[in-house]
Amino acid sequence: MKILIVDDFSAMRRIVKTLLSELGFSNYDEADDGATAWPLIKTGNYGFIVSDWNMPKMTGIELLQHVRADAQLKATPFLLITAEAKRSQILGAAQSGVDGYLVKPFTAAILNNEIEKIFKRLTEQKNA
Amino acid sequence: MTFATKIDKQLVQALLEALDNNQTEQACSLIDELTQLRESELYHQLNQLSQNLHQTLDSLEDDAPVLMHAKHDIPDVAERLQYVITETQKASEATLSSTELVLNQLEQLRQQVQDKTVSEINALPLIEQACSELTNIMMAQSFQDLTGQVLNRVIYIMTDLEESLRSLIERSKFDFHAIPDRELTDEQRRESEARGLGPSITAKGKQDTIATQEDIDDLLGDLGI
Repeated sequence: MKILIVDDFSAMRRIVKTLLSELGFSNYDEADDGATAWPLIKTGNYGFIVSDWNMPKMTGIELLQHVRADAQLKATPFLLITAEAKRSQILGAAQSGVDGYLVKPFTAAILNNEIEKIFKRLTEQKNA
Repeated sequence: MTFATKIDKQLVQALLEALDNNQTEQACSLIDELTQLRESELYHQLNQLSQNLHQTLDSLEDDAPVLMHAKHDIPDVAERLQYVITETQKASEATLSSTELVLNQLEQLRQQVQDKTVSEINALPLIEQACSELTNIMMAQSFQDLTGQVLNRVIYIMTDLEESLRSLIERSKFDFHAIPDRELTDEQRRESEARGLGPSITAKGKQDTIATQEDIDDLLGDLGI
């Protein structure tokens, strides 16, 4: 499965990449904000998108809304990893259709747990 | 005395009567009179403010803290903060590069142990390289000393500047405590939250935030996510 990692800070992209590798995911692309990510998503056939919220040009929440509004892409699992922690922001992300919400700073175990939860739920939905 | 207290009730009464009696010309003239009163009041207030500001600035010594800050400290605050971003990024990249190498060396060792091919000859160089990378990680942390000093200096400048501005406001006879709280409309709040607020680190910023991942999971769980 191909994964897209979107964050404007290269260090955070490397951390997420390393943690995903440890979880057995090795096929990924990177983008440094939503505006760069969107054309990649349209053609990249990604099975999972991991994105930051607060980025220049296009935010992570806007990117999520673009994905959910596209008939072909709307079912792509989307995890937000962000420092944004207002209750209203989390509820807004849920309304926009996020599959998981991870608040920074996080540990490898928490990321692992979140990814497992997302894929378990998606499998259950598929089988239902 | 404010505009509201200066309004002549008789003038307003006369305006109402003129409107009731369809005396358009008379009503227009009364409206002009009221508007003129308001304009002259606004002009007076602006003039007063401008005079106060001039007097305050004139009364400042050439080396007043606010002037010294404006000329000498503020221009390089952005430069100092940019240095912090650059240095922390360099340290972060160096640490990540060394960590990736150590992980790779440990993975090779793990594989050798698993395959029972481990020996002094092939294990020792890997262990030595890993030790060297760990030392690199330790050395990369030295950024904290330098950036800490720069940030302390920025905090000192900003605190001092806040004090000088406050004193300037008070000297210009403006009541600092009368400055209203910053109120955002729901629309403005939504827009600023959508753009992203960054980490909530101030007491005010922490309002309405959810502190732990566990609480976020509970909230999303309630929504079926």
